[in-house]
Amino acid sequence: MKGDAMNSDARLESLAKRLGTEAAARLDVEATARKVVEQLREQPVRRTTWVPQTWLRIAAALVIVVGGAVVVSRLTPEHRAGVGSHGAHFVADDLNDLSADELRDVLAAFDEIISSDSVAVPEGSTDLHELDAQQLRAVLRSLEG
Amino acid sequence: MAQPHMVPAASDAALILAWQGGDEQAAAELVGRHARPLARFLAGAGAPEADVDDLVQETFIRVFRSVDRFRGQCQFRTWLLTIGGNVLKDFGRRAARRKVVPLDDGVRDAAGDPQAHAEASEAEALLAAGLKQLPRLQREVFLLRAQQGLEYEEIAAALATTPGAARVHYHHAVRRLKEIVE
Repeated sequence: MKGDAMNSDARLESLAKRLGTEAAARLDVEATARKVVEQLREQPVRRTTWVPQTWLRIAAALVIVVGGAVVVSRLTPEHRAGVGSHGAHFVADDLNDLSADELRDVLAAFDEIISSDSVAVPEGSTDLHELDAQQLRAVLRSLEG
Repeated sequence: MAQPHMVPAASDAALILAWQGGDEQAAAELVGRHARPLARFLAGAGAPEADVDDLVQETFIRVFRSVDRFRGQCQFRTWLLTIGGNVLKDFGRRAARRKVVPLDDGVRDAAGDPQAHAEASEAEALLAAGLKQLPRLQREVFLLRAQQGLEYEEIAAALATTPGAARVHYHHAVRRLKEIVE
């Protein structure tokens, strides 16, 4: 039985080795080589196309990575805190540019705003001195508009 | 008496390098070395005999255009044969789109061209017909092993699989083909 199987395998391999021998024998190898070389000469290998495609892929990957990093940083609490400090710094820069007279005018305007109804003073509070830090922040936010 | 000086033939790798350096003769030499085994492989894999010449050329053109990607993971010939398999697959798709019945169907069919049929033995015709029924991977592994005489390690490297998987594909192919041929 085992011998039969081996014979069978050998026969199959022998048949496989004969497959395509006629097609191979008919092939004009020299003519094929000549045609291949001619075609390669007419349409040279464009190696340069590989480079831009690679650079494009690298650029696309960089955009994804940098974009993702920006989005993540904006969504993190640290960044939100940073936005607040940036705003405070911006206001401070503005104040630095003002003269003493201009600063007095700003304070006067601030007093007017404080005394007006537009400030969202928490219900039940009439004096800013009675407000805690959280309530004061709410007032300042309403002043920022 | 002086011995004739034997010039060792350049290796495939050396010819590839020479071709990359612009040596057209190196490309012609590679074609000369491997064209017939490629033709056998393509014909065995089901290429219509009338198209084998064109498919051989197309395979070499594709190989020379993408030779930068050849990293020596297997022999050049094995890599060439696997690209030939891809070229044949694309050819089959094009033929299907054009709804042209490949000539090979007629040649291989028992009721096909009588002259071609007479030239091929019945067993060969059956084997060829059986190969066409196999999944592509099984067919290519079988041909690389049985027709081209490659080791499983070499086949696995060319087809990006493992030697064990190549062995399994081969045995599945043999089992199916025996049922058909015998």
